Amino acid sequence: MSALAGSIVDTKALLQTVGYSLLAGIGVTFIFSIAIFGFARFSEMGREDRSPSAVVFGGLAVLATIAFAGAIVLGIIVMTSK
Amino acid sequence: MELALVVAVVVIALFFDYTNGFHDAANAIATSVSTRALTPRLALLMSAAMNFLGAFLGTEVAQTVGEGIISTPSGRQGLVIVISALVGAICWNLITWYFGLPSSSSHALIGGVVGSAFVADGASAVLGEGVLGKVLIPAVIAPVLAFVVGAVAINLVYGIVGRERPGPVNRGFRYGQVISGGLLALAHGTNDAQKTMGVITLALIANGNLSADSDVPTWVVICAASAISLGTYVGGWRIIRTMGTRIIKMDAAQGFSAQGAGAAVILASSHFGFPLSTTQVISGGVMGAGAGKRVSAVRWGVAGNIVAAWILTLPCAAAVGALAYGVTRIFGTGAAGPIVVSAIGLGLTAYAFARRYRQGAPVPV
Repeated sequence: MSALAGSIVDTKALLQTVGYSLLAGIGVTFIFSIAIFGFARFSEMGREDRSPSAVVFGGLAVLATIAFAGAIVLGIIVMTSK
Repeated sequence: MELALVVAVVVIALFFDYTNGFHDAANAIATSVSTRALTPRLALLMSAAMNFLGAFLGTEVAQTVGEGIISTPSGRQGLVIVISALVGAICWNLITWYFGLPSSSSHALIGGVVGSAFVADGASAVLGEGVLGKVLIPAVIAPVLAFVVGAVAINLVYGIVGRERPGPVNRGFRYGQVISGGLLALAHGTNDAQKTMGVITLALIANGNLSADSDVPTWVVICAASAISLGTYVGGWRIIRTMGTRIIKMDAAQGFSAQGAGAAVILASSHFGFPLSTTQVISGGVMGAGAGKRVSAVRWGVAGNIVAAWILTLPCAAAVGALAYGVTRIFGTGAAGPIVVSAIGLGLTAYAFARRYRQGAPVPV
């Protein structure tokens, strides 16, 4: 039965769709949340004159923003590269 | 004679594409507008532009619709099959719109193709494996997947930024929604515009203008992209006027998660050539992001509508497509049948719109 289903359905493509969707949907949201977290903490530390911590969180925010932009660009490249 | 039929297919298909953009415009912009991430005008312009661009990102879905659902028909009969399928899909969409039944334009189109091909050439004309593997199973999986992605994503968001001050967090996610809303509109263009490209390509192959293994012609891509983009822009203004207060309320983080989930699932599916109901996928993402915060906040009736649309749309649109093909055959094998069927479809559309306006009810979009 499973062999029959396997011959009808392109299981590999379907599983890859599920995998890519989970990875992209959850991964991009995770990275962007880290960026927001970094910026929020950077702003808070800056107001409290805690410069070293502010720099750390600012760096985290910038790195996460770059990773977010990279993930979007990678997604577009994958879409257009088949 | 055949040229007239090809032109008729292209015009009707582009009209279908236009109505698809018109109907689905709210999906991409609703959450961005409701969280004030974008002004309605900007959201609309961005959505129309991204739908246009999305249509150029691949042709896998078009190839599935053009070659993977039915055996490629040939000659005048092939063109009549495609016209009947389009008229059947438009009529079914109209019937469901008029009576407020849940539906899916994408499944209506595929149902129409299957129904008219079945009546024309018998069961052997329908590629059962393609319908099951490329349409039915993804149709069930995709909205559930979007729900899961949306729910997991919003829980992740609240876990990371839940203890931060809401001001900067909301502001940040509103900026993020500009990107996620754009991606969702892009995804919509990739999947829905390609279905129309697939149908037009099917007609061109049937008429001998293209060989069976040809790529989608560039002019078809440009026309389909323009039609869906124009429909999105025009339909969006109607939505802003008539649906202003009916947009679901959610916070910016939920909007970002829902749009991200919908965009991820649709883009991944388009990449592998699965034609989806984009409305159902986006609804799944919105419900997932809603349920992730508070299960009772979700309008579970929407889930019931999706299930009803799953059950109803394909067989009913197939029946209407089959009926449309049957009517064309009453008038013989010439152009009279397709002309009469198209006129009936157009007449029904005009009558339904006029009746709705006379009743004073806003045209739901």
